[in-house]
Order: sequence, then C-alpha cells, then structure tokens
Amino acid sequence: MVIQWASYTSPLYAFENSYVVDKFSIILKGLFILITYLTFLLSINFIESDKYYQGEYYYLLLSSLLGALVVSSSRDLLTIFIGIELASTPMFLLSGWKKGDRKSNEGAIKFFLLGVLSASLILYGFSLLYGLTGQLVFSEISTYLLSNALGDSPVLLLSSILVISGIGFKISVVPFHSWAPDTYEGAPLPITAYLSVSSKATGFVALIVLLTKVFATSGQSWGVILAIISGATMTLGNLVALQQSNPVRLLAYSSISQAGFIIAPLAVAGITGNYQDGIFASVTYLIIYAFMNLGAFLSIHLFSNFAGSDNFYDWGGVAKHSPLAGVLTTVFFFSLAGIPPLGGWFAKFVVFRSLLSTGEIVGISLAIIGAINAVIALVYYARISKVIWMDELKNPEQEQTFEFQNPLKVVGAFTVLITFIAGVFPGIFSYLGEVSSIFFGN
Amino acid sequence: MELLTNGIGLTAVVFLPIISALVLTAIPKSQELLIKGFALVSSIVTFVLSVLLLPQFDFSNADKLQLGNKITWIKSINANYEIGIDGISLPLLILSTFITVLAIIYSIEHLPEPKSPKGFLALILVLETGMNGTFVALDLILFFVFFEIVLLPMYFMIGIWGDKTVRSVAGFKNQIETRLYASIKFFVFTLFGSAFMLLGFLGLYYRGNKTFSIPELIELGTSGAFTGTFATLVFAVLFLGFAVKVPMWPLHTWLPDAHTAAPTVGSVLLAAILLKLGSYGFIRIAIPILPEQAKAWAPAIAILSAIGIIYGSLACLAQTDLKRLIAFSSVGHMGFVMLGIASLTPIGINAAIIGMVAHGVITGLLFFLSGSMAHTYHTRDMGRLGGNMKLLPKTGALLGFTAMASLGLPGLAGFWGEFMALLGAFNPLDGLNVTIFRSSMVAGAIGTVLTAGYLLWMLQRVNLGEPSEEWNEMELHDADGYELAAWIPLVILTILIGVFPKLIFGATNDAVVSLLTKAFGG
Repeated sequence: MVIQWASYTSPLYAFENSYVVDKFSIILKGLFILITYLTFLLSINFIESDKYYQGEYYYLLLSSLLGALVVSSSRDLLTIFIGIELASTPMFLLSGWKKGDRKSNEGAIKFFLLGVLSASLILYGFSLLYGLTGQLVFSEISTYLLSNALGDSPVLLLSSILVISGIGFKISVVPFHSWAPDTYEGAPLPITAYLSVSSKATGFVALIVLLTKVFATSGQSWGVILAIISGATMTLGNLVALQQSNPVRLLAYSSISQAGFIIAPLAVAGITGNYQDGIFASVTYLIIYAFMNLGAFLSIHLFSNFAGSDNFYDWGGVAKHSPLAGVLTTVFFFSLAGIPPLGGWFAKFVVFRSLLSTGEIVGISLAIIGAINAVIALVYYARISKVIWMDELKNPEQEQTFEFQNPLKVVGAFTVLITFIAGVFPGIFSYLGEVSSIFFGN
Repeated sequence: MELLTNGIGLTAVVFLPIISALVLTAIPKSQELLIKGFALVSSIVTFVLSVLLLPQFDFSNADKLQLGNKITWIKSINANYEIGIDGISLPLLILSTFITVLAIIYSIEHLPEPKSPKGFLALILVLETGMNGTFVALDLILFFVFFEIVLLPMYFMIGIWGDKTVRSVAGFKNQIETRLYASIKFFVFTLFGSAFMLLGFLGLYYRGNKTFSIPELIELGTSGAFTGTFATLVFAVLFLGFAVKVPMWPLHTWLPDAHTAAPTVGSVLLAAILLKLGSYGFIRIAIPILPEQAKAWAPAIAILSAIGIIYGSLACLAQTDLKRLIAFSSVGHMGFVMLGIASLTPIGINAAIIGMVAHGVITGLLFFLSGSMAHTYHTRDMGRLGGNMKLLPKTGALLGFTAMASLGLPGLAGFWGEFMALLGAFNPLDGLNVTIFRSSMVAGAIGTVLTAGYLLWMLQRVNLGEPSEEWNEMELHDADGYELAAWIPLVILTILIGVFPKLIFGATNDAVVSLLTKAFGG
C-alpha cells in the first residue's frame, strides 16, 4: 500500500479500463485493510476463547477483504459484481460461526437468503444495463448513453432502482434493513463489527461508483428515491434504536440510522449534479464512522464480557471497575452522536454542508430531518454512558478483574486516536476533497 | 509581552485548562492532594494569564477585535482558527476564568458525592476550555465547537454528582432520579437548539461568499447581503440555538431541573457562565450579522423577555425548594438581559452585558450559598429551614447581602443591568414599535417588584425567625475557610461593580456603540 502510495503519479488503468488504481481507490483500500487489521486484533482473544476454527476464520475474513479491495478499483459491471459478492459471501459463513447458537444460525440464514436476493437484484439491474448499451465498462457505458441520448431512458432508471435496492440490502437501509439486527446479534462480535463497518463501506463504495459513473444522467430520478430512503432510514433506525436494551441490537439500529446520513449527500448530489461535495461528504462520513463504530463495538465487547450480560441495563456502574474502558465507551458513543470535539461532529457537519450546498428543497428537508435525528440519537447514545457511569453498581462487593487484553488495547488506542484527530484537526480530510474532485473529473 | 498579543496569550487561556485536565487524568487516584493542587494551580494560572491580557488590551480601541490571530484550520471548508477579543467579550472571558478558580477552591473541601476529585476537577477544566473558547472564537465553526464542548462535562457533572432524590416525571413509567432526568433533559434541549443553529451557520456560509469568519460576515451582513425569507429562516434557527441556552421563556424548562439537580459547583458554573453563552451569541453573531432581521424580531424577543421576567418571578413565589427558587430567578434575570438586547440601543446592550456579569457574580454566589446550606441541613425545603441567621451567622449574612444584590439594590451590581435594561426598553431603537417596548418595560418594572417580593420572602423564611427544633440535635458547621475564600471575592466584586460600573462599561461601551452603528447606521 505504502509503496503504491509513494510511487503514485497518475491513475493507472488495467484490463481495458475495467480496473483502475487512482487516489480514490488507494484511500479506500487503505481504509479496508485497516478495518480488517483491527478486526483481526478484535478476534484474536475471541476466537481463542472457544472451539472455533481459527484458520478458516481468518481465511474467510481475508477473502472478504479481497472483495472489498476489488470493489474500490473496479470500473466495469462484472468486476464490481464479483467484488461485491466476494466481499459478502464469506460473511454468510462467518455470521453463522457460533455453530451451536440458535440465534447465530437464524441470523446467518436470514442474511444468506436476503444476500442472495440482493445479488440477483443487482445482477438483474446490470443485465438491463448491458441489454441497453451492450457495454460492460463504465466509461463506455456512459459514452454510449450520451451519444445515443439515452440519459433519461426508463430502462436506465429501472436498472438504477434495481441496483439501489440490491446494494440497499448490503448497506442495510430502510426498507432493506430487516436482516441486520438479527444477523448482528447472532454473529460473533468481531464479525458484527466487521459487518457494520467494512461490509457497509463496501456497499457504499459500490453504490457511489455505480451511481456517479454509470447512472449519473438519471440522477434527478434516483436522487429523489435515495432522498426518501435516506430520510426514512435515519428516522426509523433511530426510533427503533431507542427501544433496544441489547447493546448489539442498539448498535445495529444505530448503524442503520447512520447509513441514512451517509447516503443523504449522494441523494442530493444526484439531484443537483454537485457530485464532488456529495462524494466528499459521504466518504468522509464513512471513514470517521468506520473507526468510531469499531471502537463502539470494542467497548460493548469489553463490558458485556465483564458483566456477563447482553442487556446493557445490567451494566450499572461498571465503568468504576475500569475507568479507561469507561472513557473509551463514552468517547465512541458521543462521537457517534456527533458531539464536538469528537470526530463524529465533523462527519455530520460535512453531510449537512453538502445537503445545504445548493439550497435545493430536498437538501434542506433532509438537513432538517437529519438535525432532528441527531438529537433523537443522542438519547440512546447517551444512555450507555449513563448506565455505566451513573447507575449504581449491581454487586459492589464483587471483586472481578477487568479483562482488557493487549490486542484490544491496540484497537482502542488506534480508534480513539483517529476519533480525536478527526474531530480536532478535520483539516486532514481536506485532501479527500481534492481526491473526490479528481475522482469525478476522470 | 509580545507573546501575549499575537494570539498565543488567548490560545493559552483557552487550551491550558483542557491540557491540565488531560494531565490530571494521568495522576494516580491516591495522590488526592496533588490532584487538587494541580487543578487549582492551573485554574489560577489561566486566570492570571487572562488578567495579564488586560494591560495589552487597548481600551481606547475597545471596539476593535484585539490580541487575536487567524490560522488555517480546516482548509476544505474554509474554517479558520480565528480568535480575538473586544470590549464585549473581555469582561465575560475574565468572569469565566475567575469563577472557575472559585469553583475549584470551593471543590477542594466540598466535593459532592460520590467523591472522585480527579474526574470532577477534570470536568470543570474541560468546561472552562469550552466557555473561554466560546468567548474568543471569531469563526462560526470554532464557535460551534466550543459552544458544544461544554455539554459533555456538564452532562456528566449533573448525571454523576447530581441530586439523587427519586421523583416521578411525566413521560416516565417508573420514578427516576432527579440527576438522571435533568442531565439528559439539559443535553437534549441544548443539542436541539444547536443542531439547528449549525444549519443556520451553513446557510450564512453559502450566502456569504463561503466564509465562516464572523467579522467578514458582519461586513457582509451590514452591507445587506442577507435578506428575505432566507435571512428570516437563518435568524429563526440562530434564535432557537441561543434562546435555548439563555434560556428564554418558553424554552427554559430544562433550567430549573438542571440547576436543582446539579452539584453546587455545577449550578454555579451553569448560572454564571453557561447561560451567558446564549446571550453572548445574540450580541456577537445574530444581531450584527442579521441586523434587519434582528430589528424585525426585536419586539417578539422583548415580549418573550417580559413574559420570562414575570413568569420567572411568579414561579419563584411558588417554590418551596431554595435551589429551585434561585433557578427560576435566573429565568427572570436573563429576561432583563434579553430585554436589554432586544432594545437594540447602546444603553440596552450595555445593560445586557453588565447584567450578564452581575448575574454571573450574584447568582453564582447564591448557588454557592444555597448549595452549602443544603449540604449542612440536608434539605433545601424552605418550610423546614428558618432561623438561619442564628444557626449559621456567616452564611446567613452573606445570603442576606446577596439577596439584596439580586433584587437590584442600587449600589450593588444587580442594579445596573435591570435599571438600564428598562431605560433601554423605554426608548428603543428608532423604528421599533414603542408601545410594545414600553409595555415590556412596565412588565419588567412589575417584575422588579415581584423579584424583591420573592427574595425578601425567601429571606424571611430561611434567614429569620426561630430555628426549627429538628436542628437542635445536629452539629451544624458554618462556612469554613475554603468556602469564604470562594465567596468573599464575589462579594467584593458585587460591591465594586455596583459602585464603579465603569469597570465594565469602560470596556464595553465603545464596542457596543460601534456594533450598533455598523448594524443600524448612525
């Protein structure tokens, strides 16, 4: 990676423009690799603690990583489809890893069935596109669409709707979200963390690439659809999250709601054609979200192990046993809520910024819905901090040792560092802005 | 002294506390003395630094932003680290560093339960960074970040160290501890306001040549760049953000809960500084950037302020809880501040600033006293208190003095803000509806009478009379050295500002006049 970065001069194209290595893809690859590395660290103790198959576990995770890497570079229909599926298929297996656990089995089956459905939707969308244009490579598809004035063809729109629905399952936006909470709850915790961060990011990247490179011309129509999905996703995810007492389900619904924030700029970009701001906002959000959400999973992992309970209302006062873990939890959850100076605020900020950039009514409405949702979300994000810091200890006499293994400490330190840096010096994302302009330029 | 003038001095005043808080967390828990000493020293150093800025500050040019700097912060969105102070922010900044020192002195011996000096003092210091930062920020995004930083420490201060009384609250199935309810209510209310405020800032950014710089936006705003529905909407959301914080009626409901539940020091900081962030926002941002809209909204603000004054005083008359009474009195006093601001005249806005400082000093002291009494008597119920003068003569005497200051006795600090706010409302800016303002003024005048009423009644119930028998058995401790060390400076300040209001006006007047001249013409 580093070598590639250092030796970078101009975008490299391979396989007749179907595979590209540009700054945009290198940054995303870096993100995917980092996430996977952190997931490994999360997994080490977890996997050793039970009779799991270690070799296969890491092998499958790496396969999924390969898929994600392919997605970020692919610029043709077949490659991107293979990438998407390569990224998600190993996850079907991994989410059912806890063999004897019924919830794990249930979650994996749901995930698998809906995953297959989504794959077929995407493929159907692609086939329509291929039927319309006879091309596979993105650049040639858009040239064809332009030269034959097919920009607003209904087939193109139908195809974009199918692709959005298919990828909608992967990124779990409303109304394609129903598998996520069950699967998240059943899967081993590191896998859940990976699902909610990396799988989601893969889906988003695929969506961003497809919408901007292929379907840009029918942006007016899919923009509105995405805007509705985005508003519904933010609101529904939040309202359901308010009711949760299981921390994993809470994070599942919270990540659904966060997905609403991530696609909002894309929706508005589709309508206004201002892709550069939209991509910048979505990708910035995605990166900050990835690290703070991994951190959030780390902290619930620590506390549910310690308290031996999957109901966070039983965690009363546990922060007193490990103030360090308590502070980390507080940082991650308030960052998810978007409170400065933690990274989450900048993510929300760039999203609002891109929503309001043109004064489009859809953008303003989404911004207002988003602002209200940011406040609702605070209630449940703050609740975990409230329980661990403010509630009474359940068994004050109980002397337990708080386990905070070294690999987990590395994850904690790394994610907390990124969360703070992103919040205090968000200037580092400026580079991303230039990159997204280059991305859309070529 | 070169160092102090080019922005480094101000930067140090802002960031020293938060850095100290980080260092504090590294000190082991067992070294309690070191923790307390370190926190105290760092707050004193911050205060001294802010005072050292005074000689560097050019009072003859108090309307200019000084001692500041501008460094690129977030290039991609053109947000800068732009800081500076003028005559308006200077008194508030010093008030903030000063009250923090007193809060820490008080906390040395009087930590609320559960004692945990490290966490508590670190939160106070983080809070100070947020407060100081808000007063020096000259960039909307920087302002927003500092404005929000105060939320987390205050949330935890109320939630962890707050009042553990269990009560039933509408909307909750089970009974809930006051601190838990109050802390989240405080957080949600303020975040609601500021989430919309941020949208307003973005609106200004896009219409204002993509800049977040407050001075640049003021130039644009006074030259008429923001007009029409757009400006009305932006003013509306800014109003929402600031009014929640002030708080103005009817957005005030978080305040009595938060004040009552917060530990003593929390209430002091909340009343003395945090409420001022809202009214300061009006003076620094909303009015100069959107003068025409401010003019259009002024009558509404005046009416809400008048309602707030009357409502706050009437609510005080109905209280049995000493702390809750003081909390509602804040609603009334901030009503005067906002009435002064709404008049959009130099006299009104000067009144608002001196009112802010005076309220900070006086109500801060009232919360210190009531907190200390609640700690001694284990109750805040005024029905059970009584004869305080006999039981705790020092505390009682101070309570009497502060209540007098709070009701606006001439010669003490509280007088100027109330009196001049009414004067301002009598003669508002040309073009504003005089009838509305004069009615508000009359309401405000009635409010001063009611204020005197409830404060004197409070004194009668708490200070005078014979002590109830239930205290005979108990050993009651009057104010100790740490308490007096925290309180006496506030008493002195109350008298000083009361006798020499020029201490404040000397700094503010030029800045206020120039602000209004720019906004509304000569």
